[in-house]
This record gives sequence, C-alpha cells and structure tokens, in this order.
Amino acid sequence: MRRKQIAAMAWENMKQRRLRTSLTTLGVVIGITAVIALASLGEGFRVTVTQRMEQGFELNSLTVIPGSLFAGLSRERFTDENVRNITHIPGVEVATSVMQIGNVTLHKGDNEARAFVATAVNFTDFVQIFSDRFVFESVDGSPDQWKNNTIVIGYKVNHPNETETPFATAGDNITMTFMKSLYVRETRNFTVVGTLQKRGTPGLTNFDYWVFIPLDTAREIYGPPYESDLIFVKVSDPDDSDAISRDIEALFPPYRISILAPMTFIRQVDSILSLIQLFLTSIASISLLVAGIGIMNITTVSVMERTREIGIMKAIGAKNITILTVFLAETALIGLLGGLIGVPTGYGLSYLLSLVMSGFTMGQQQGTVFQTPETQQTTITPIFSPTWAVSALLFGIVICVLFGLYPARKAAKLHPVEALRYE
Amino acid sequence: MPAILEARNIEKTYSMGKVLVSALRGITLEVEQGEFVAIFGPSGSGKSTLLHVLGGLDRPDKGNVYIDGINLSTLNDAKLAEVRLHKIGFVFQFFNLLPRLTALRNVELPLTLADISEKESIQKATEMLELVGLKDRVNHRPTELSGGEQQRVAIARALINDPKIVLADEPTGNLDTTTGWEVVRLMKHLNEEKGQTFVVVTHDQSVAETANRMIYLKDGVIQGVKKGSGSERL
Repeated sequence: MRRKQIAAMAWENMKQRRLRTSLTTLGVVIGITAVIALASLGEGFRVTVTQRMEQGFELNSLTVIPGSLFAGLSRERFTDENVRNITHIPGVEVATSVMQIGNVTLHKGDNEARAFVATAVNFTDFVQIFSDRFVFESVDGSPDQWKNNTIVIGYKVNHPNETETPFATAGDNITMTFMKSLYVRETRNFTVVGTLQKRGTPGLTNFDYWVFIPLDTAREIYGPPYESDLIFVKVSDPDDSDAISRDIEALFPPYRISILAPMTFIRQVDSILSLIQLFLTSIASISLLVAGIGIMNITTVSVMERTREIGIMKAIGAKNITILTVFLAETALIGLLGGLIGVPTGYGLSYLLSLVMSGFTMGQQQGTVFQTPETQQTTITPIFSPTWAVSALLFGIVICVLFGLYPARKAAKLHPVEALRYE
Repeated sequence: MPAILEARNIEKTYSMGKVLVSALRGITLEVEQGEFVAIFGPSGSGKSTLLHVLGGLDRPDKGNVYIDGINLSTLNDAKLAEVRLHKIGFVFQFFNLLPRLTALRNVELPLTLADISEKESIQKATEMLELVGLKDRVNHRPTELSGGEQQRVAIARALINDPKIVLADEPTGNLDTTTGWEVVRLMKHLNEEKGQTFVVVTHDQSVAETANRMIYLKDGVIQGVKKGSGSERL
C-alpha cells in the first residue's frame, strides 16, 4: 500500500472522529508550545546574558592578581620584570602595572569628594586596555601627554548622590590626601585631566567609584620598592585568553598568582546557561510525554472500536504491517498537526512572556542605585531557531508514534477471524 | 479441470473454557476451477470454520490447504495475506463493508492494498460496480444502501482483484428471501458467464441446491456430497 494512500486513509479516519482528534492534538500542541516557548526564551536569555557580559567585560583583557583561591591570597606584589616578561608572551599586546592605594578624600576649596579606590596606572596603557570603559565626559589633552600629579575622576566620585554639578572638571586643581603609613599622611595638589562618564555596574570593576593617578606619581609618593598590586594585560585575540593565561601562570611559581580571564568566565557562564536551558526544555518535554500517553489511550480505544474493521482489512488482504502503518500514520499526523500548530504558538507565547517579563524587570529597576541606561533596556528577546522548530516538530511526531506503537502493534496482531467476530 | 482449492485431512479444535470442541475432523475436499460448490449443514456443523481455514483466515491444527497449488500451511502471516489479497475473495453474511467509505472506495480497497494506481483502481472499481448492477450507487456509503445492495458491493469487492476463488459465508443469511435469491442469481451469473469459482457456505438447502456440487457437513465431518441442480432452480 502506497504512503500517500496510507496517509489519506489515516486522515479520513481522523476526520471521522473530529472532536477526539482535536482534543488529542491539543495535548500535543500544548506540549510543543511549552517546549518551544521555554527553548526560545531560554536561548534568548542565554544570548542576552552573554551579550551583556561581553559588553561589561573587556574580552581581550586579563587581570593578574597575586595568590590563589586554593592556596590563600598572597600579600606578594609584582615587579616591573614580571610585567616585562608578560609583555614578551606572544599574543600579548600590552601589560601594565596597577598600584592600588585604597580609599582617598579629594578636596577642592571647601568641597570634598570620596573615592573608594585610588589607583595608580600608566594612563597610555590603561586607555589602550579599557578603551570601551575608560570614556571621558570632559578631558584635557591626551593620556600620553599627562604628566605627574594629574588625576582622572570616576563618575560617582565626581557626582556624589547623583548631583548635576560635578565636583571637578578638566583643568581644575584639587588636593588629595594619602596615608603613606599608619601615622604618616601626605597631601598633594593634582590637576584634573579627565572626568569619566557614568558606566554603571557591568564588568568586574566599576570605574565610577575610582580615581586614577599616574604610576610615577604614586611611586614618587611611596618610594621603592617599585612594585604593583595587579597587572592588566591586553591580548590580541580573546580566543587565545586560555593559552596566554597558561603562559603567564608558567612565569610564576605554582599558586603564586591567579588570572581573571573574562572570556573563560563568559564561556563557563554560557555553558551553565545552556545546561539550564536544556533542563527547562526537558521539563517542558514532560507535557509532551503526557500528551503521548493521551495518544496511547486514544489509539487503544480506537483499536477496540475498529477491531471489526481491522478484521475486514485483514480478510481482504491487508498485511499486519499495513494495519500497523495506518494506525501509526494517524498518530504521526496528530504529531505533525500538533507540531505545525504548536511551534508558531510556542514562539508567540515566548514573545508574550518576554513582553510581560520586560515590563516586570523595568518596574523592578526603577530607582535602584545601579540603574544605568543599559539596564533600563534589559529585555529578553526570544530567539527563533529553525533547528529547535524542526527538532520540536520531529520530537512531537516521534513521541506520538512511539506512544501509538503499542496499541498499533496490538491492532496489527489481531487474529482476523476473532476481529471479524468482534461486536 | 485442475483443482483450485484442495483441503487434506483438515482438523481444527477450539477450546471453550476448559472444554475442547472439535470443529473440523479430517475434512478432505477439492474444488475445481469454474465450479460452484455449496457447503451446507446445520448451525454448529463447522461450515464457517471450514471456510475460514480454506480462505487462510485461520490455520488448521492438522492437514493442509492448497490454493492454486500453494500450501497455505507453509506461509507466514504476510504471505498468507498476499494469497488472500490476490487469489481469494470473501463475501460475508453481514457484508463487512467499511462504513465510512463509499461503495466505490470499498470496492477499490483491495486494489489499493495491491498498490494499483488510483486512476486504474477507480476505473476498475466503477466497472465492477456496474457489473453487479450498482452503477448509480457508486458514491453511496453502506448506510445509504439496502442489504441486497450492500451484498452486491461486497461481491464486487471480492471480485475486484480477479481472484481464483470466491468464498461466501452465508451470503443470503442477512437478506430477505427475494433479495437473497437476487444475490444467489448474481453469483451464479458470475460463475457461469465469467467462469468465477465459488464456494458458498449456507445452512439453506434451497440455496445449496443451486450449486454444481453440494457438500453436506455435520459435526465437523463431511457426511456426503451430491450434485446440485445448478441454475435450474433459479
């Protein structure tokens, strides 16, 4: 018997029992809708999170810190030779020392501003590494022209309590007081060469609360040994982050340093989110299994009702495989129909849920300290994946066929005479 | 004339609960091509069981059935189905048409199972319905047809694949006398004009007597065989 005729016969049988077929198909539609909605939302969530992280991190940057989470954080510091050695590793564009000074107080006349982190950096290198985040709202000259006793001020330091009038602008002179040791203070005059734009919370470091002074100035204040607390590294290709991290680790004794590599971190997060997505989709698949049980039930009833018909078919020469195929074709058609309706419905539902969620998250973000222009736009856009659509469609059909297999086999194995006698 | 159907020492036992019932006890018979044979006997004599065994719908416990020289006992279910499809036509007491299909589709069904193209099978089924006098009823469903018309559709379906033999199980059993005789006349006509071989199971002796040969069955044993009167009664 040809496939087209089997399909036509199955379709005819389904049409005869419209209500039953519709209700059974509805079960499959719900299952596939759930799978597609969660899969596309999950994919959208994964991509949104990954993109946000990529925006927040400099993917081509590495941060070398002393000590190890496994062997305890070290008080050791890095020498200029360490930095030079890192610079020589192939794939490293820039490596620069960073000296952390701690919190400081800035004074301009009677005005005062506090910075949680004062950092001494090489401005030229620093701008090269953090070109995306080290963005100025007012600037005086270019970083490579900045001499000693200059300062760059982060947004939150410059606008405490979100004041519209900044504490200082480029060209202003301010004073800053350092604690050189427990009892020794030093106050110095600085010229503001730049103030930073508001960047918000993304990334490992929030420069909004930082001030930056030249490394040479800090070394002049604190004297030798000229060591640094961190090394920031810029690599040519973010994909080489892992390999370069290993090369840097090889320059130091075991567990002496740790390396924060955003690319590695993002990959880990991405793989965790993929697992979560798979988990959610698996849960949604349960509803498809429930629909499959419904199909098994309906097919069993159908076989009982059509026992005599099966007997007639066998008497006139239908093989067992033909009977099996007709019943399986009916279940496959239900799966196909359910899939064709369920896939677009699932995507529709995911867009609806996305709209509801974006309204909800926007409401939650209103008035929070960490609100930034980026976070206001946080929406999860469901992602249409043809692979998911085809997979869900095929999965629906396979589930329907698998659950229809047992009653269809029972139908195929019916004894012709007993089937003909069935009342 | 060669034997189209041959049964040798057929035995069939049923278990009804704990009781074993011997439905057929050593049946041996032959049907030649072009014959119209009636198997008759009282209820419970094993007529229908014999017909089912002869038609490959059921397997005997002992003995062999040959259709067109093929030993049915050696065939698996799929091959047996092929023999039923191509070499045997069945007519049942309760017509056994598929209720949701039209007369045309019912008659066409064996052709569909035999992978005949749709165009050819529609043409053939239409001709066959015309042959049994149902030219105007092709698109009617069984529920829209009288008992006699339904049985004619069943006969058309039995003949559509040009079988070697048609096995009819009480074909007049569910019809009034007049309609019953019309069906008998149709079968006799097909036998005489087309040379179609028929084996008809009936409990009605008057129907059986229209056959060329009457086989009297009682308690699963052939009690006697005698020549029928053929078409003289019709």
